[in-house]
Amino acid sequence: MRFLKTSEAAALLNVSPNTLRAWERRFGYPKPQRSPGRHRLYTYGEIASLRDALHEGLSISSAVSRAREGLTADTHSLVGALTSFELERADVAMEAALALRSLERAVEEVLLPSMDEVAKRQGLDSAPWAFAAHWGVAWLRRAQRLAPPPTRPLSVVIGDATRDDLDPDAAQVRAFELFCVRAGARILSLSARGIQGMGEALAHRDPSIVVIAGNHLPDDDVARWAYNVRLAAGPLPIALFRRGHQPPRVRTTGAQVLPTGALAAQQRLLELVEEFRAAPAAYVDPRDTASDLLPRVARNGGQSSA
Amino acid sequence: MSEFPARAALRLVQPAPVELQPIARFCGHCGNPPTAAQPSTRVCDRCGLGLVLETVVEAAPSRGAPFLVLDTGLMICAMSAAAQRELAVDETEAVHRHVNELLVAADAEPGTRASLADVVVRAARGDGETTTIAVRPAHTFGVFFEARIAPCGPPRAALVVLH
Ligand SMILES: [Zn+2]
Repeated sequence: MRFLKTSEAAALLNVSPNTLRAWERRFGYPKPQRSPGRHRLYTYGEIASLRDALHEGLSISSAVSRAREGLTADTHSLVGALTSFELERADVAMEAALALRSLERAVEEVLLPSMDEVAKRQGLDSAPWAFAAHWGVAWLRRAQRLAPPPTRPLSVVIGDATRDDLDPDAAQVRAFELFCVRAGARILSLSARGIQGMGEALAHRDPSIVVIAGNHLPDDDVARWAYNVRLAAGPLPIALFRRGHQPPRVRTTGAQVLPTGALAAQQRLLELVEEFRAAPAAYVDPRDTASDLLPRVARNGGQSSA
Repeated sequence: MSEFPARAALRLVQPAPVELQPIARFCGHCGNPPTAAQPSTRVCDRCGLGLVLETVVEAAPSRGAPFLVLDTGLMICAMSAAAQRELAVDETEAVHRHVNELLVAADAEPGTRASLADVVVRAARGDGETTTIAVRPAHTFGVFFEARIAPCGPPRAALVVLH
């Protein structure tokens, strides 16, 4: 994936950087992501397709619309490949998506929406969904294996509370893990079912935060698991990543609810860790016991009790 | 015997003189001409929110005029800032919509004057002359515009300037 700085993207489009930023405000396109230093980074493919569309267009709006259509075409081809059980074609569709976007956006704008579309059209008990779910989770795991090694002192322990790969939350959780890894974090993903051997698993990890991801397991099980992580690793902030939950009503203790999108959740996670490092007491109450902390973790997942 | 005269009379046929009409450039958003005589980019160097288009001088919109740009399918491709205000619709929502969702011919008796569709299609094909017809906003009565319609581009399209 080739990225362009604002000046480079503007030069390719033969406009000023100010114009490019004005288009982002007015049309929401091109949509840059941010470098670690908060600078705009544009994908080459997105800028190139806008340049072509501008060449043939009668207005910026119509050019943006045409460039966007090119982008949604990737979702159509991926949905088509998944519903026809064509692994190779699905991989090719993702390659095409990656030519125009960052990996994060390819996952958020093509892979996950395509899987949602298959689930919606075919149902969660259908063969196409089984195929799509396995393909999607495998793709995300492979991308995670290919990600560069950790670059920041951030260790995330994830309690996976999904059922299996067919759980519609599973791909979201794998995407969240992938984004964390690509942001330079070290990830340890454990099943939120098991507490056996947890001490050893955490001994060398020095976790910065615990994330409970997924919504399949009963709250009591998840709560017990989270408490055991704290027992083994010491005071830690706990965050919940689940679909369909509203933004958090933050409590001083208990769990923080992450945004529902995998990328937004990863970004909030980084903020939370910084906030926790600056003021640990605001996030973890050392007097928490299993009996009062844990049910609260569970309750906070949805309609937080004040 | 030859069928041809012994001395064929060859004459250089002068083509009919082509009437080159002076061209005006204008921004599809603000209506202003570009600052440079030969702009290096299609994006308006004044507002940055429109593409520079060309039309014959007599049809060019004045600065800040309400106008639309339509293709041969009568779909809206561009709207000036003034047209967006006048017709109370944002260009980003209007593009790819049929012009009749915003404007219809205002003639009480159809057929008495050229229809909006015919004139626009001819202009968008590049073979129409500048034509003026009466239009009104769709679903609105009592408000009329004179629409001056002419070819513009590139690519080929019809320019509809509202007065
Ligand atoms: Zn302009």
